Amino acid sequence: MTVLHKKLFRSLLRSWAESLAVIMVVLCGTASYICLHSCYLNLALTRDTYYAQNRLADFEIMLERAPANAIFKVEEIPGVRKARARMVKDVNVDIEGVEEPRVGRIISMPVPRRPVMNDVVVMEGRYFEPGVQDEVIVSDSFARLNKLAIGDRLGISVEEKKYSLRIVGYGLSPEYVYMIRTLQEMVPAPERFGILWVPKHFAETALDMKEACNNILGEVDDPKELDAILDRADKVLDGYGVFAKVKQQDQISVRFLGDEIQGLAVNARITPTLFLAIAALILFVLLSRMVRMERTQIGLMKAYGYSDWSVALHYLQYGVILSAAGCLGGFALGQWMADGLIRVYVQLYQFPILESRIYPDVLARSLGIALAFGALGALLASIRAARIQPAESMRPEAPPLGHRVWLERVGPVWRNLGFTWKMIVRNIARNRFRAGLNVFGVAISTGLVIMGFFSLSGMEFWLRFQFQEVQREDVKISFQGERGKKTYYEMARFDHVRRVEPLLEYPFTITSDWRKKDTVVVGLPRGAEMQKLMTFKGKVVPVGESGIVLSDRLARILGVGVGDTIRLKPLMGRVEGEKRAVVRAVAQQFMGTNAYMDINALSRLLNQSFAMNAVLLRIDEDAKESVNREMKDVAGVASVVFNSDAYDSLVKTLAGSSRIMNLVVLLFAGVISFSIIYNVTSVALAERQRELASLRVLGLTTAEVGRVLYHENILLGLIGAAIGLPLGAGICWLLVKAYDTDLYRMPFYIESSAYVKAVLLTLVFVLMANLAVRRKILRLDLVEVLKERE
Amino acid sequence: MNTGNDTNHTDIFQIRGLAKDYQMGEVIVSALRGVSLSIRAGEFLVILGPSGSGKSTLLNIIGGLDSPTRGEVFFRDSDLAGYSEARRTRYRRQHIGFVFQFYNLMPNLTAEENVELATEISPDPLPPAKALEMVRLGERRAHFPSQLSGGEQQRVAIARAVAKRPEILLCDEPTGALDISTGKVVLDVLDNINRRFGTTLIVITHNASIGAMADRVVRMMDGQVRNIVENERRQSAEELDW
Ligand SMILES: Nc1ncnc2c1ncn2[C@@H]1O[C@H](COP(=O)(O)OP(=O)(O)OP(=O)(O)O)[C@@H](O)[C@H]1O
Ligand SMILES: [Mg+2]
Repeated sequence: MTVLHKKLFRSLLRSWAESLAVIMVVLCGTASYICLHSCYLNLALTRDTYYAQNRLADFEIMLERAPANAIFKVEEIPGVRKARARMVKDVNVDIEGVEEPRVGRIISMPVPRRPVMNDVVVMEGRYFEPGVQDEVIVSDSFARLNKLAIGDRLGISVEEKKYSLRIVGYGLSPEYVYMIRTLQEMVPAPERFGILWVPKHFAETALDMKEACNNILGEVDDPKELDAILDRADKVLDGYGVFAKVKQQDQISVRFLGDEIQGLAVNARITPTLFLAIAALILFVLLSRMVRMERTQIGLMKAYGYSDWSVALHYLQYGVILSAAGCLGGFALGQWMADGLIRVYVQLYQFPILESRIYPDVLARSLGIALAFGALGALLASIRAARIQPAESMRPEAPPLGHRVWLERVGPVWRNLGFTWKMIVRNIARNRFRAGLNVFGVAISTGLVIMGFFSLSGMEFWLRFQFQEVQREDVKISFQGERGKKTYYEMARFDHVRRVEPLLEYPFTITSDWRKKDTVVVGLPRGAEMQKLMTFKGKVVPVGESGIVLSDRLARILGVGVGDTIRLKPLMGRVEGEKRAVVRAVAQQFMGTNAYMDINALSRLLNQSFAMNAVLLRIDEDAKESVNREMKDVAGVASVVFNSDAYDSLVKTLAGSSRIMNLVVLLFAGVISFSIIYNVTSVALAERQRELASLRVLGLTTAEVGRVLYHENILLGLIGAAIGLPLGAGICWLLVKAYDTDLYRMPFYIESSAYVKAVLLTLVFVLMANLAVRRKILRLDLVEVLKERE
Repeated sequence: MNTGNDTNHTDIFQIRGLAKDYQMGEVIVSALRGVSLSIRAGEFLVILGPSGSGKSTLLNIIGGLDSPTRGEVFFRDSDLAGYSEARRTRYRRQHIGFVFQFYNLMPNLTAEENVELATEISPDPLPPAKALEMVRLGERRAHFPSQLSGGEQQRVAIARAVAKRPEILLCDEPTGALDISTGKVVLDVLDNINRRFGTTLIVITHNASIGAMADRVVRMMDGQVRNIVENERRQSAEELDW
């Protein structure tokens, strides 16, 4: 070990608290990098493995009815490897003791078992026995939440006819990782909606589909060809009532899951980079100070013959050593957290498998990035050290020429300023760089904490906006197929129902020039109160009698604005040809890419005078039970969703997964904030040791000396926090931009409480940092400090 | 103890059996080993002695920067040895002015502002401008330390020390970093203050010839007072032969 190395280690030990702060920040950065990246990669790997093992189809075609042998026509399309015909149908499920209607999706499966596309994974129990008809495998969470045991019987009603099935197993499927019935529902409600895998023969009988199918799955050679293949399929299946062709990537569950994983990827890119950049900044502050304080020593070293390069290298080593130390800790912490987090995700999504690996390249990259940032932080200080001329360094560094502070010219104010404040004003005004660093550090901290709170509360704000402002109904009842006015009046006559609004949700292809999007058009009645279109600021956007209102996202996809004309083509039913509509307005939405029209106008598009396929109800308080009971007897009810349940379930699922993540981010943000503030505070103190010591010699008490420092820090802290507010908003804005997906997005809305909390937390950090340096002021050895040469 | 009898009424300090030990791991370094000394109010005392003989340690204890391990340091009627840290701070504030070899000025404050540091905390200070005039820097008061020569900076430091009107002015090698003629100016300023205000002045120096300016010269050796010489006549700074 050379003498320089000894010096290095002693310096590190002497400023152990500051070094530790740098290490902590690097550690947070590396840990978050590894944790988020591995978690993202493992989740994607688990998903892909799951999809592959159970042969998730490349496309799905939904149609009214086709002969089973229609799949041969599909298989003949070039590029299609294999096709599978199956029957899929939503039915009502009767569970003893459960008042609410439950919907089950019947999916036919081959008996005896053979590997098929979109296979079921039997988690418990067994597959169907040949020859037995009335068996069912129930999706895992539906079974558990409804307390359905293997061996129990389950009642279902298919178009007035009732059947009883024996539960033989619990199942999972890659097709339903997210248990959402339709895109409109958005909310996974695993207790109200479940999958019922049944033997093919049972489905044929119950659905009256002997040798027929209404759902075709396919596997292709090249997913890029899917558009062409599906267009061909449309032609070969002409006359069978094709109403939806879904590519794997557009499948509901695949999309939701993909978005979620994408969110992780975004987070994995932004957050750690931010953290490591900050680590570099702290290092820069720390080392610049060190170089400034060691000017004379550096000059001496050079005078003895050390080269500029070896001096620069010496300071670079600080950065690299601290980064490496932080990185090692980050490896351990990050890997540990990644391991925990992936388990949480796997459980949350109910993957039957867990593929977890350690990614050496992620570790290597995190090390590389951390070291690069560490070296970067040290670089400027090193260059400065290399530039020091031995002769010059023996003289004290000339401070920048000071000027009178403008405040001093305002005589009355200046004279009334106490001693402490005069000192502070002069200190700040004449040492702008140091003051600037302090302000900057606090600003970044505040920004980080705002980001932490924002990610934590953004989701909740979004949910509240959605469920209190947009979806204001108490209950939404969806029907299988369209209904007329009669059902509407029937609904209105039920007990406890105070208000009814009809709703028509219909899938369309919307086109503008070459741009095209399959989405749902929602028909709303005039003066709709329960489903409102709004801007984020809460302004209501009226639907109007004619024309169409687009969600902003859809407007952007189609590249249209108010006044433009778009073309609509129904994706379901027998309505031929395209219709036109003028864009009336654009409404802001966090979820989906829907479009909205007047319900009568939408009905006319479908060649009907009035149609609806759902109603929104406002009901009496505490009437949930009785409304449930009433609905159970209404034929053709597909689902009854209580707003409060949907909210709870969303909070549990969406907010549940992001919450863990965001708590982690908030925690890291807190640690880093404190590290920054502690470092700028203690660096400022170290630079001023001599000043403070001479004040103490003059007879100022520790309290008086402390006051100058604390008040200054608090003042700078306040300024920094103020600057941190827009800075934080900027960081959040970046996050929002990065997260934007078709399904949902984060609102760029930062609650004022997040600002308040961030500022308070930052100020607490400032106070804590001051408390920590107070120790140093108390222990300041006057004789020692003053004995040293300047 | 019967201190009243042998205390000369003009003595401002009565030091008896003063010792200071530094614990350095296993080793104990004795910086002072039994110093006894009376210092008279208003006198100009020079302390001489080889490096490491304990001069600074003694001065720091007298000035309330440090506390002794054993022994007594009576400032008038109270023993500094028993002072708490807070009490020592108050003592420094009220009675002591310090000047060090390195000037310890705030680089970002002007000469006048540096002096203000002292006057702000003092009940009856000299106006900063006056204090600077006394050290013959009236014209330079708006300058920053980096714009002043070493001797000028030292004079600012002196102005800062005397602006509180301390009864005792303690200087640890005030000319240590200065050349002859600048050193003489600084010494002249100090001498002047001692004569005009009756401030008790204690100066540590390695330069034996400065002793000629003092009322008495204390020689230290190995943490003890070797001898004390009383001068018949005080020379002026001009007369010194360096
Ligand atoms: N903080 C300390 N820890 C340990 N030993 C110390 C400490 N301060 C001083 N000493 C020792 O005490 C002795 C006296 O030191 P002091 O500074 O009083 O000497 P001095 O006479 O002022 O010397 P110089 O003329 O070189 O300034 C020296 O041997 C020194 O090593
Ligand atoms: Mg000394």
